[in-house]
Amino acid sequence: MKFTRRGLMKLVASSSAAVVAGGTLGKTTVRTVFAGTLPPRSKAPTNQKWVMVLDLAKCDGCRDCTKACNKMHYVPPMQEWIKVYEVADNPAAGEYYMPRPCMHCDNPPCVRACPVGATFKRTDGIVMQDNDRCIGCRECIAQCPYSARSFNWGEPPHAPEELSAQYSMEQMYPHRKGTIEKCGFCPHMLRAGKLPVCASACTMGAIYFGDELEDAVTNSKGETLQLSKIVKRGAGYRLMEELGTEPRVYYLPPANRKYAAPDEKAQLVQIDLGSNA
Amino acid sequence: MTSAREDRLIKQMTETSRSFWIWISFLAACVLLALVAYIVQLRKGLIVTGLRDEVSWGIYISTFVFWVGVSKGGTMVSAILRITNANWRTPMTRLSEAITVLALITGAPMIIADLGRPDRIWHLLRYGRIQSPLIWDFISVMTYLTACIIYFYLPLIPDVALLAKDQRMPIWRRRLYERLSLHWMNTPAQQQLLERAIHVMAIIVIPLAVSVHTVVSWIFAMTLRPGWNSTIYGPYFVVGAIYSGAAAVIVAMWLLRRTMHLEAYLEPEHFRKIGKLLLASTLVYLYFNINEYLTVGYKLEGFERDLVESLFIGRFARFFWSVQLLGVFIPIAMLMSILLIPALKRLSIAGVGTASLLIVLGAWAKRFLIVVPTLQTPFLPAQRIPAEWTHYSPTWVEWAIVGGALAWFLLAYSLTAKLFPIISIWETREPKEKRHSESRTGPAFLRARAGVVTAMVVLMVGGSAPGENKPQRVPRTTSLALTYEVKASDERVGNQSSGVPDVESTIENPFAKRYEATAPAVSAVLVSAKLQDSEGAGLGFKPITFSAKTYFGTITLGVRPTGADGVAHLKIIDKRLGAYYVNAGFAGDEQLLASSGSVQVVASPRPKPSLPEEGMLIDPYPTFWITIPFVLFFGTMWGVFAYILLLVRKLRALGIMVAKEF
Repeated sequence: MKFTRRGLMKLVASSSAAVVAGGTLGKTTVRTVFAGTLPPRSKAPTNQKWVMVLDLAKCDGCRDCTKACNKMHYVPPMQEWIKVYEVADNPAAGEYYMPRPCMHCDNPPCVRACPVGATFKRTDGIVMQDNDRCIGCRECIAQCPYSARSFNWGEPPHAPEELSAQYSMEQMYPHRKGTIEKCGFCPHMLRAGKLPVCASACTMGAIYFGDELEDAVTNSKGETLQLSKIVKRGAGYRLMEELGTEPRVYYLPPANRKYAAPDEKAQLVQIDLGSNA
Repeated sequence: MTSAREDRLIKQMTETSRSFWIWISFLAACVLLALVAYIVQLRKGLIVTGLRDEVSWGIYISTFVFWVGVSKGGTMVSAILRITNANWRTPMTRLSEAITVLALITGAPMIIADLGRPDRIWHLLRYGRIQSPLIWDFISVMTYLTACIIYFYLPLIPDVALLAKDQRMPIWRRRLYERLSLHWMNTPAQQQLLERAIHVMAIIVIPLAVSVHTVVSWIFAMTLRPGWNSTIYGPYFVVGAIYSGAAAVIVAMWLLRRTMHLEAYLEPEHFRKIGKLLLASTLVYLYFNINEYLTVGYKLEGFERDLVESLFIGRFARFFWSVQLLGVFIPIAMLMSILLIPALKRLSIAGVGTASLLIVLGAWAKRFLIVVPTLQTPFLPAQRIPAEWTHYSPTWVEWAIVGGALAWFLLAYSLTAKLFPIISIWETREPKEKRHSESRTGPAFLRARAGVVTAMVVLMVGGSAPGENKPQRVPRTTSLALTYEVKASDERVGNQSSGVPDVESTIENPFAKRYEATAPAVSAVLVSAKLQDSEGAGLGFKPITFSAKTYFGTITLGVRPTGADGVAHLKIIDKRLGAYYVNAGFAGDEQLLASSGSVQVVASPRPKPSLPEEGMLIDPYPTFWITIPFVLFFGTMWGVFAYILLLVRKLRALGIMVAKEF
């Protein structure tokens, strides 16, 4: 092949024409493909935005929330979808209990990184997990800073009621080997107008849940409070705000506690050795 | 026709010793063991590995990263040296290109071994999301592998054509070579075409290699985890890949030289030259290591502190320092003394070879130290979990699979070295004439051509409810009539709770500003409830309780007294959106009966259901701005591959034409 000036000019002209034509075609295709419509499963049944408020001043670390959650979802052993941590930020400040559900972030790192869209954001703010689609790559576990995701390393033990149910990503069971498990804010309870099971099981009323668009949250005792007011007045915060994940779970600081802190509890046990647990 | 050293090379290809077969059977047994281990893993799940929720990635992933790093060897030695016209590269191009191809074929399945549901691997094609680093990996590794296979094959064409005519080869091999040679007749026109194709590939393979190593680092760097959340990870991995890849090439040279008696091709000078390259890349790698750990270790910022402590003085300290010592410092010392002290010149091969072996082992261990310690230092502490769930140690299944991958690589490499000339015969011949033609047809022509090719590839591509009357007892009946009005937004409602006058702040609050656009507007609604008796006369100075129904309960809004006219006012200041009912209740007293009423307030419209606004990365579908860079970069690459295919077809047609003339 020989290069002449004319040949080169022709090539440049034809390729730039092709660039323009291809660009127009590409743009049209992109506009059609990226139309901005959501798939049906991303559309929540109701126009609500769920939000949870955890009042650490009320949490006494009884783990009723974890137990209720495990029972309802037949959570496989070694997993806690809502886990109660004993936190000691520094020696002077004292310890406190901190329940950690899935944060249902508005900027969820897990959803960003999922290669197959097995975890996705719903319009009501819930981060859903679809175990019909999950390939078990565990990129989401690497991504989640809250350690809110678990994996079924082996075949999980099954309950008969669990197995007889049709798989639903709202109920999150039957559980499957090699897939991811996590808290889902109990979407099937929300449909029925009920609080998530952790919130309704909390005897201390420490877990408030509600619709952000209503600006109201309710706890197990039926106390309904204005969300913006308690978060503002109670100096509410979100866990690891600095990471920019924009969680949908707010914490109220453990101020003026009415129960024994984890370290105090340990002392009480030492003093009270006679009583049998 | 063939020289003495070429005869010896061909003899090595046709004759197999008993030790060769022992070696092959040993490797095949290792691969079989790995298959057994993988079947066990498939049946029981990943529970048979040492991986658990806390440390959910282990030696599968670190070995994947290692092999992808090793694959850099071929492109570096072959492509970079080809473009820079380093003539001494010719005896080692083939053996390093074979490393590239086979390392990728070995490394990529490590990801599949790590999957919990390998049966759903096709979901990557069916549901793949371009926003995910794993998909970037999939795309770039596949593209790179294709490029490397082409780049391995092109320089092989003259050699297989030569061997197809060699009577010493068994007939099946001659037939295979004949097919692969694409009617290579060694005509000047064919030479020019091949030269062009190889040069285009040599150029294209370098950005591809950089992209692959960068994208592999992004699996980690795109997370928030301490240690991984690092901006230097891309170049750090690229340098780490050159470092381990060059070392792997030297190890291969060392072993092949001994086992296949290639002394005539691979001279000590070759080891010294590539040793310099290795030394340079090891020094750069050392610099990256210092930069990576010093910036973190100096500040000891919260979460990273635990990581640095576990690496420097904690659980991984002994391992970490051994790897740094054996994988970086000792090789640097060895390479420096061998290359700089004339007395040690005679140790060139053994010295550079040993240093390289240390580097390869150190590189694998370093990948482990990149993956595991970070996962072991999560943001939230691991509590109420048994130690074996938080402290990762690989099980026999993992070792068998990782070892089997190594065995498979060595097996495939040994067979490749038997099947194809592991030293490029035509490139190592008559070097002077070749250089001349290369410098003429190569770069200058290419620049114009590659530009055109790139350009061509770019083308692709509310209402009110009446009050209720409850006449029950002797006391007078009452009723509550509610009205409301939405207050204009000029009312300052920011400090609704404190009542402190809202002083205009001179300092902007950057935090508040971030959410201004997305936060629902505060609305102010004035609800008025008139308490009246059956005649409609207002009942003054009575307490009225206001409340609103929410999805889960009832929110008490406040208690307000009625004025002399019987009207109680309540200003609701909240962020509630949409229509909702406000109830007012009067509890009743001795003279008056209880009553209640409600009004539907329509304050501000509820937003349409949608995903968070800045959701480009969480969108279920590919979004424009994240798709375009990939389409452009990898599309260009595939366009170039198509162009190479065209050149190869032309080459073949030329060969057929020449063959007909004879």
